[in-house]
Order: sequence, then structure tokens, then C-alpha cells
Amino acid sequence: MSDYQYDHQTVKGFIVSSIFWGVVGIVVGLWISIQLWRPELNIPPFFTYGRLRVVHTNGLAFGLGIGAIFGLSYYIVMRLTKRPLLFPKLARFHLYLFNAAIALAAVSLFMGMNQSLEYAELEWPLDIGVVILWVIFAINVFGTIIKRKEEQMYISLWYIIATVIAVAVLYIVNNLSIPAGLFKSYHLYAGVNSANVEWWYGHNAVGFIFTTPILAMFYYFLPKSTGLPIFSHRLSIIAFWSLVFAYLWTGAHHLVYTPLPDWIQTLGIVFTLFLIAPSWGSVVNGYYTVGSDWSKMQTNYLTKFFIMGITFYGLQTVQGPTQAIRVVSSLIHYTDWVPGHVHMGTMGWVTMTTAASIYYVIPKIYNTEIYSIKVANTHFWLVLIGQLMFSITMWITGIQQGALWKAVNPDGSLKYTFMEGLAKNYPFWQLRTVAGLIFTIGMLFFIYNIYMTMRKGKALAASRA
Amino acid sequence: MTKDFDDTNIADFEAKDTAKKLPLGWLILFWGLIFWGIYYFAMYSPSISGWTQEKAYEESLTK
Repeated sequence: MSDYQYDHQTVKGFIVSSIFWGVVGIVVGLWISIQLWRPELNIPPFFTYGRLRVVHTNGLAFGLGIGAIFGLSYYIVMRLTKRPLLFPKLARFHLYLFNAAIALAAVSLFMGMNQSLEYAELEWPLDIGVVILWVIFAINVFGTIIKRKEEQMYISLWYIIATVIAVAVLYIVNNLSIPAGLFKSYHLYAGVNSANVEWWYGHNAVGFIFTTPILAMFYYFLPKSTGLPIFSHRLSIIAFWSLVFAYLWTGAHHLVYTPLPDWIQTLGIVFTLFLIAPSWGSVVNGYYTVGSDWSKMQTNYLTKFFIMGITFYGLQTVQGPTQAIRVVSSLIHYTDWVPGHVHMGTMGWVTMTTAASIYYVIPKIYNTEIYSIKVANTHFWLVLIGQLMFSITMWITGIQQGALWKAVNPDGSLKYTFMEGLAKNYPFWQLRTVAGLIFTIGMLFFIYNIYMTMRKGKALAASRA
Repeated sequence: MTKDFDDTNIADFEAKDTAKKLPLGWLILFWGLIFWGIYYFAMYSPSISGWTQEKAYEESLTK
């Protein structure tokens, strides 16, 4: 076990960092949700909605999400290759660089530096930093896998490999730009091409940050927590290859009814709909795995996190493709339906699964048990209620917005002014803030539980020494 | 408790009876979406079916 001690400290460092950035991102999220119905909470120039929103998305996707992905991927890779990381010191440097990059990213976004590309807002000097970070991650993951002591490669390793390769390609291609000074640049592509590349990247950020690494966690930590082997190895492999193949073609569904050529839109829609199959391959596999012994839902507190997580993944991967269909897109695109959709994925699937994985890893690292299962259960129910309330209010108001915008008088003029539509959003936006608050309180229970487990673990280690 | 993939070979920690199974319903979904995709692509590609979003829009105005 001592061989792993140094690496475990690195893993723990990533987990703690990701939780820290998570708190920042969630607080900013609450703030901007209030700004929508109380505009006076915009404090120019640094704390206006336009700047805070990107701090929220970047902070949670890259700070909380990627931070946890780095740490938990290292952990999974070590377990499945049965050896410590090939370059432990490099991984530690990776941790420091990661935090420096996220901090600088937050500062630059507060200052209003922005490439104006969604999820690729960071300006070019930071992009270079991100690429260096990613190369370090790739070297350690691939090096450790090549020098592995277990010949067979479990499915989680494939998902991690796909994450490393795909994100590298996507990030570099979409961030190619022509610098115009240190803090300003122009996208290498223009007009429709820029939009197409951007959404090829944007949607695959969902695919290879919010999906493949989270599935790696799901496939590893579900069997570990329950002691139940995955139902079908073959199904997991076929779902993997068809998922990574199909995902990279789907970005154009973000550009339905735009000047993008019709056939590219159609191709994007076709691949998006196909994606239901590989996604549900993992959903079915998860259900059948726990289906071999449903009593695990009662006897192991983590089972429900994973099952609820994969359920929201399943719902997400039906709702998403439905949104790609032209007639549906024309109603809900550009409305609040979309943040409702996104938050079911991030709060219901990604955060649920990641939190459960952290619940598993932290006690393992300290060789102890979780501080309180009761607190974990409270966390579970609060984030579940908060997330459902968030998504449902946004779906309702999204459909309402879409319908109001589309309503026309017989002479073709708009039936409702923009302000009339806006005013109807307020009750839903206020409810969304309440939902966010419930979710945040749930996350505070999670953080408290992890903190107390670490404290307990440290005391235990001191008494052993 | 049975040994899992940390303390044994991964192959030994497999659901032996079902490890190579593909559920029928899932296979139908998988192939169904592929065939539907071919059909849909043909129906909504200007160079194959002649459909374009501009034409569809103009038609919607005459309704």
C-alpha cells in the first residue's frame, strides 16, 4: 500500500481542489440565477451576468469536473494497471499547474477576456497552459497503461483513453486562433465554419468531459461499491466503440435552422439520434448489473447514487437527441429549456456519479469508513430534489418562451412583445433559485461528510504511527 | 465477499453467464436507429430528396 501513498496524496489533492472550485462555481451559479430576476445584483464591471456566467460554466466544467476527472482517473488507472503512476512527481506538478490554470482562468474571465466561443472562452495564452496540462495527463495515463501489470484492460481504461485523445484533438482544433495582442485573438475559422467547428467542440466537451470519464467512474466504482460484476462485458465494449464513433459527428445539431448546409445539419441529427443506442447500452448494463441483486440498493448507500446517476444519464440521452429533431429544436432552441437539459446532465448524472466515486475513494485512501452514511443520504435526497426542481421549472418556462415567441397574429406580426415573454419567466426563475439553493445545501452535506472523513482518517493515521 | 478486479484478474471478476450477452431489445434499438438514420438522411438531404429548409419554410408560410 505504501507504494501508492504519494500518488494517493496527489489524487486527494485533485479531489479537494475540485471541491474548492466546485464551491466557487456553485456560489456564482446561485448569484447569476438571482441576477436574472434581481438585476441590481449585477455589479459592473467584474460581477455582471455576462462575466459571471462564464465563471460559472468554466468553474464547474473545468474546475469541479476536470479536477475530479484528473484525480479519479489517476486512481482508476493505478487500480486497473495494478501499479503506481509511472511519473508520480509529474502528477504532483500537474496538480499545482491545474490549480494555477483554473485560478488564472477565473481572473481572466472576471476581467472580461473572452474568445466568445462557448466553453472555449479562455484566451490563447491560457489555452497553451491547458494544452500543457493535458499533455502531462496524457503522458502519465498512457505511460502507466503501457507499463501496466495487469494484461487485460477493463472498460474504464478505454473510456479514459478516449477522453484523453478526444479532448486533446477537440481543444486544439477549436482553439486555433490568430492572436491580436496578449489578451485578444480571432478564431482561425470565419462565419459558418467557425460556428461548425465551435459546436463540434462544444458538443463533444459534453461527450468527452461529461460522458466518457464519468462512464469510466461508473463502470469502475459501481462494481467496486456493490461487489457485483458488470452484467455484460461485450455490451460495455460495443457501447464504448459506437459511442466514441458517433459522438464526434453530432455537433451540428446545435445549428439546426441556421445557414449551415442542410445536409450537415441532417447528418448531425442522424448521429445524435443514433447516440441513444450506445448511451442506453451503458444504462441497460448498469440496471442489469444491480438487477442481479437489488438488495444492494438498501445494503450499500452508494448504489442509489450510481443508479440514479445512470437513470439521469438515460433520460438525458433521450431528451438530448429529441431536441436535435428539427420541429422540437425550432420550439425550444434559445429558450430556458436548454439550461434545464444541461443541468439534468451535470447535476443529476455527472455530479451524482462523481460524488459517489469520491465517497468511495476518500475512505479507501485513508483506510477507513465514510464519516456518516446518514449525512450521505441527506446529501442524496437534497441534490435529487434540487436538480429535479431546477430542470422541471426550466422545461416549463422554456416551452412557454418558445410558444410565446412563435405566436403570430393572422397578419404575421408577433403576438407578444419580448417584455411580455420575459415577465412570464420571473416566477420560474425565482423557483430555479430555490432549487439551486436546495442543491447547494445538499452539496454542503457532501463536503462536510468528506471533510469529516478526512479528519477521521488523519486522526487514525496519527494513532497508528 | 468475492474477489474483485483489484485483487484478482479482471477476467475472473466477470458475470460469467452474461459477460457476452447483448440484450435483444437493445440490439433492436441499435440496428433500428442505424436504418432509421439512413432513411432520415436521404429524406432531408437536398441532393437526395430535394428537401431544403428554405423550401420547407416557404411552404409553412402558405399554410
